[in-house]
Amino acid sequence: MSFEGKVALVTGGSRGIGRVIALKLAEEGSDVIINYFRKKSTAQATCDEIRTKGVKAHAIKANVGEPEKIHSMFDEVVSEFGKLDILINNAASGVARPAMELDDKSWDWTIDINARAFLLCAQRAAKLMPDGGKMISISSLGSRMVMPVYTSVGVSKAALEALTRYLAIELAPQNICVNGVCASAVETEALQLYVNDPNLPRPAWQTTPAGRMVQPEDIANAVIFLCKDESAMIRGQIIVIDGGFSLSPSAFNPEGGSHGP
Amino acid sequence: MTDTSVEETVKQIVIRIVRKPDLNFSPEATFKDFDADSLDIVQILVAVEDHYDIEIDDDELQDVQNMGGFLAYIENKIAEKG
Repeated sequence: MSFEGKVALVTGGSRGIGRVIALKLAEEGSDVIINYFRKKSTAQATCDEIRTKGVKAHAIKANVGEPEKIHSMFDEVVSEFGKLDILINNAASGVARPAMELDDKSWDWTIDINARAFLLCAQRAAKLMPDGGKMISISSLGSRMVMPVYTSVGVSKAALEALTRYLAIELAPQNICVNGVCASAVETEALQLYVNDPNLPRPAWQTTPAGRMVQPEDIANAVIFLCKDESAMIRGQIIVIDGGFSLSPSAFNPEGGSHGP
Repeated sequence: MTDTSVEETVKQIVIRIVRKPDLNFSPEATFKDFDADSLDIVQILVAVEDHYDIEIDDDELQDVQNMGGFLAYIENKIAEKG
């Protein structure tokens, strides 16, 4: 159990990729705090599952797009656990519209949740982290590749990745490791919001050159590695988890993006 | 019978989020009447949840037609909480 005695906070940790990361951290022995947006019952169910791993679990409701909610969340982290060793910035939202149809409200909503929240969380988390703390941001390929109706999310993820690099250097003297994981389409409920769009190349979403879609466990495995001291000399890097999808010229070909079975 | 305190609280939340101080918050009014888009509605739901410490189920809201129904739903959730 690599993370025994550690405390981790996973934003957006009640479901999808965040939930799987939270469970993996628990399996490694870390106490886990999950932040959730709305569904208390889902968060409680995830907490119950975390506790079966023999660690403490705690759920905090907060829209990380609102600075005051982030501060309340960290006040609760302090009162409940007194410290934080691992921060996983996973919570994300977005408005699926082309650039020409984006209004300022949709833009701010997406940027605030997906990028600014990491800045504000990192500022609070750094004060609670002992030597050897870890911060991991969860990004997506929209940060570097153009996908239909993904404008606001893609741009926010590009900002998130840049912020990850800046934080890595600024927090290096405190021996806090900051890195990111960038995923292609991951098989979660959230993907369904985009899959129904007829403009998207469905076959490409459904597989990769590696022959299958990326699963939440693939992301969680990389996150766990980056949270271990063995990866301490990796700083400010964004690890792409996409089964080779972004390297394949046929990745965005609607007629077939697969080299797999 | 709608609890006036709930009605006033929800009305103020809606006004703050859709930024329409003079909106007509009648029982027959809908979110569409307030020009509330999906982001506004999510923010209204979260604000109501936070204020009353209740959980609003989006699926259950599908049956709610207007503000009268919305207020009744919220009051029911508050009562369930005890």
